[in-house]
Parts: sequence; structure tokens; C-alpha cells
Amino acid sequence: MNRPLLEARSLTLAAAGRTLVRDLSWRADAGQRWCVIGRNAVGKSTLLRALAGLPVPRRDGAVSWLGRDQVGWSPADAAAVRAFAPQQSADRFPVAVKRLLELAVCVPDTPTAGELLQALDAAPLADRDVMQLSGGERQRVALAQCAAQGAPLMLLDEPVAFQDPAHQMQVARWLATLSGRCLVFSAHDVNWIAGIATHVLALLGDGRWEAGAAAQMLSPQRLEAVYGCRWRQADGAWLMVD
Amino acid sequence: MGLQGTRLAKFAALLLAATAALLAAAVLLGSGGLDAQLIATLRAPRVLAAAGVGALLALSGLAMQVLLRNPLADPYVLGTSGGASVGALLALLGGASLWIGAAAGALLAGVLLLALARSALAASDDGSARLILTGAMLASVAGALATLLLTITPDERLRGAIFWLVGDLSGAQHGGVCLLAALVFALALVARQRSVDRLLLGSEAATLLGEPVRRLRYELLVAASLAAGLAVATAGAIGFVGLVVPQLLRLAGVQRTRELAWMSPVGGAALLVAADLASRIVAAPMELPVGAVMALIGAPLFIGFLLRSAR
Repeated sequence: MNRPLLEARSLTLAAAGRTLVRDLSWRADAGQRWCVIGRNAVGKSTLLRALAGLPVPRRDGAVSWLGRDQVGWSPADAAAVRAFAPQQSADRFPVAVKRLLELAVCVPDTPTAGELLQALDAAPLADRDVMQLSGGERQRVALAQCAAQGAPLMLLDEPVAFQDPAHQMQVARWLATLSGRCLVFSAHDVNWIAGIATHVLALLGDGRWEAGAAAQMLSPQRLEAVYGCRWRQADGAWLMVD
Repeated sequence: MGLQGTRLAKFAALLLAATAALLAAAVLLGSGGLDAQLIATLRAPRVLAAAGVGALLALSGLAMQVLLRNPLADPYVLGTSGGASVGALLALLGGASLWIGAAAGALLAGVLLLALARSALAASDDGSARLILTGAMLASVAGALATLLLTITPDERLRGAIFWLVGDLSGAQHGGVCLLAALVFALALVARQRSVDRLLLGSEAATLLGEPVRRLRYELLVAASLAAGLAVATAGAIGFVGLVVPQLLRLAGVQRTRELAWMSPVGGAALLVAADLASRIVAAPMELPVGAVMALIGAPLFIGFLLRSAR
């Protein structure tokens, strides 16, 4: 069988009169870790929302999961195939972290809440109220929640935006352990991306996009096209050139 | 950290014991003393009505808090009870059923609130300040309409302005119907407890987890409105029960819908029975309208919760 877990066909996204992505035809499969890169406001979050089947300002084209258009999925079936972690959670009511993870389960035989929290250095948070966590702690709990859902496709909007360097590494190591799943996430730190992404989808800001294996995509020319500044590699690390 | 295990069980036992004690005190105390006939014909039905209305209002508030994802939501503060008053008055003046009028008025006010607050709800998933202010204005309009209706139709058959604007339990009947409705409401919530808990995480989060969010919200809107309508038809527009009870339970550490669904109506019944008892004995033999007593308790608490949530 060769039905891609996630596939976009002629997907065009626009917001505020600007085309974010034009004619995106692209697929992602289990075992791949895709990083979406691009400058601020280029449409990374909008793209991830569209891929998750959430409302976006304007869209054309189709997105399918396991070969079936996402509009054809019932909410309950969709929950078993794709999970999405937004950049920030707007909590309004007190709920304990372990209850949150319990509520997130849609596919029964997934890693337990304890295992997930342990892997994300969040085990001591299990009994805490989500409203009392710091931004970084809340985000790691959100990542655990996303994985607890059990869906093979995980879409993560800037999973390390609020993490300190050590926790960025920890999240990367954890993402690498989710090998049976298909991950699509956005991030800004080129060195972090180089360490974890197997593939890169670059949004250039005018609707154009490029996708490919991370080794090819992370080149000085491509990075300059994406970020508008020059890059060089020294001792395996990417550096910005003034 | 919420209440769990034995601590939760102890809290539940305490709540039930306090409620039972309050019910006994309310039936036994009051002007006229321990007269069996007085108790059977006047005091017991009144206490029953207070309990039923309190239970309904607490459930209505709980459901509106989930629906609007705002811990400060309450049928009185957001104009739903006011809508029920206007609906009931119009129905009475037109010769239709008080119950149907109150239910229709409450539903209309609820739908109007959702429509007006729609953009605020869509943008931030709770739209707290805008939502509360919109609701307060709806309540204000409903109060004005009720006052106008009472002024232009001086009809002796109608109950007075106090009943329709702040609520009054003197002569209230049909407490049993209210309690039965509250029981059905609570069971319906328990049946959906996992979905309701997920909805509290946010409508988008609940959608991602596969919940039929739109249907759940319609159900909550209809149930909250009907409960408020029934409460208003029985005892007028009593405020703040729906706000105070679930909020205090949450502060005590009760977080799950499974528990809130039954503790809220029990707590609401206890609170309104206590407020009614106070309104009967504080200035005896004079009786104060219970709605005014509730507002004196509830409005300062509302401000307290508001200040707390702003931090």
C-alpha cells in the first residue's frame, strides 16, 4: 500500500489579500520529520492549521489523510489520524495535567501519560494545574497531549518556541523517538532543525515553496532565499553572516 | 491540584450534610414557629421551590460557563433570566402559558447573546470582557422591557416588579417540577461528562479530539436556557446562583464535570434555601425579596472572581 499519510494537492492559502502558499502539491509519510521554515508571518501556522483541517482565512485545493480528502473524515475518525499542537494554549479552567492527558486519548494503545511526561522532563507536573505552569512547561505538556492522542500524523506549531536550550535538545530527542509517526512542525533555529528534521518544506514568502530532504534543503543558497540573509557552515554549525 | 479520592469523598459528604441541615433548618425555622399545618402548606413548598430553583440556576450557570468557556457566565448576569422575564410577561399579557413564554424568552436571549458575542468567541475562544459586557447590556435591555411592560399594563393578576426583576420566592410553587428537571439536566451532563470536559479545553481543542462541538454547544444552550426559563417562571429572575456555586466548587478543587454536574445543583439548592431562610428571618416578621439577598451575596463575589481572574 502506498497511500500517503498526508498529502496536499494544489493547496493555495491566502490571508489579508496575500498569497501565502500557491499550488502546494506535496506529501509526507510515516517515519518522516518535516520542518516547515520561513520568515515571520509567511504562513507557517496557517499551513499547519490547514493541514490539520482547522479553519483558515482562505484556502483552495485539497488535503488528504491516508488518501481520503480531509473533508470526508468524521471528527472522531479524524482525531484518530491527526493531532495538532498549537503554539499556545488558552486555558480558562483549572485541570490537572494528568487529567488533560487522559482527556486527549483517542487511540487506546498509545504511550501512557507517565511515559510521555517522563520523556519530556515533565513528570513532576502530572498533578499540577495547567493554569499554573510556565510557558515552557505548558508547551511540553501540550506536546505530550498531542502524542497522547495517539494519531500517526502529528502537526506541531513551533514546538520549541518557549523552550530553553536544554529542553530544545530534549524535545528533539523525544521527537526522534516517535519514529513510526509522521511529524510536521515549524521552527526557526537552523541548527536545531538540522539536528532533527529529515525533510524541509520552505515557504519563500510570495507563495512559492520548495520541499526536499533536509540535507539538500539546508544549503547556504536556499537558506538565503528563505531568510534573506547569508549563511555559512563552520564545524557543522550554521552561522549567520553579517 | 484538584480534589481526588478520599478528600473528594469527604468534601461530597460535607456538602450533602450541610445541604440536609440547611433544608431541615429552613423547614423548621421562621415566623409562626413549629406549626404542622403552616409547615405543610406554606414553608415546605417554599423550601422545595427554593431548592429546585437553586439547583436549576446552578446547572444553567455551569452549562453557560462551558458553552461560553467563561467561568463568570451566569444566566442572570448575561441576560438569559431577563429574557425569560420579558417572555413570561408577554405570554401572560397575551394569554399564553407562563412556562412557554419564559422558556422562549430565555432561549431568544441566549441565541442573541451567542450571535452578538460570536466574533469575540471565534477570535479568542472565550472573549471574556466583551462577552460579559454584551450580556450585561442584554440584561439591562430585558430589565427595561420588563419594567415598561409592567408600567403600561397595571394588571392585578401579574406579580410585581420585584418578582420579575430580582426574584421572589413567597408563594412559589412547583418546586418538585424544578427538582425533576434539574435531575434530568444533571444526568444529561453526566452522560456527556468526557465531552464537556474536553469542551472546557477550548472548542478547537475539542474539535481536534473528535467531539461534535457544534451539537454539544446547541445542547448546552437549549438546556441552560430552558433551566433558566423554568427557574424564572417559578421564582422570578434570581441572580448569581449559577455564577457563585460552580465557581466556589472549582475553587474548592472540584474540576471534573462528573462531580460538578451533581454538586452544582446540590450546592445551588443549599445556597438558595439559605438565602431564602435569611430573607425570611433577618427582618422578621417582614420578608425581604430573596433575589435582593442573593444579589447582595453574589455581586461582591462576582467582583472578587473578576479581580482574581484578571491577575
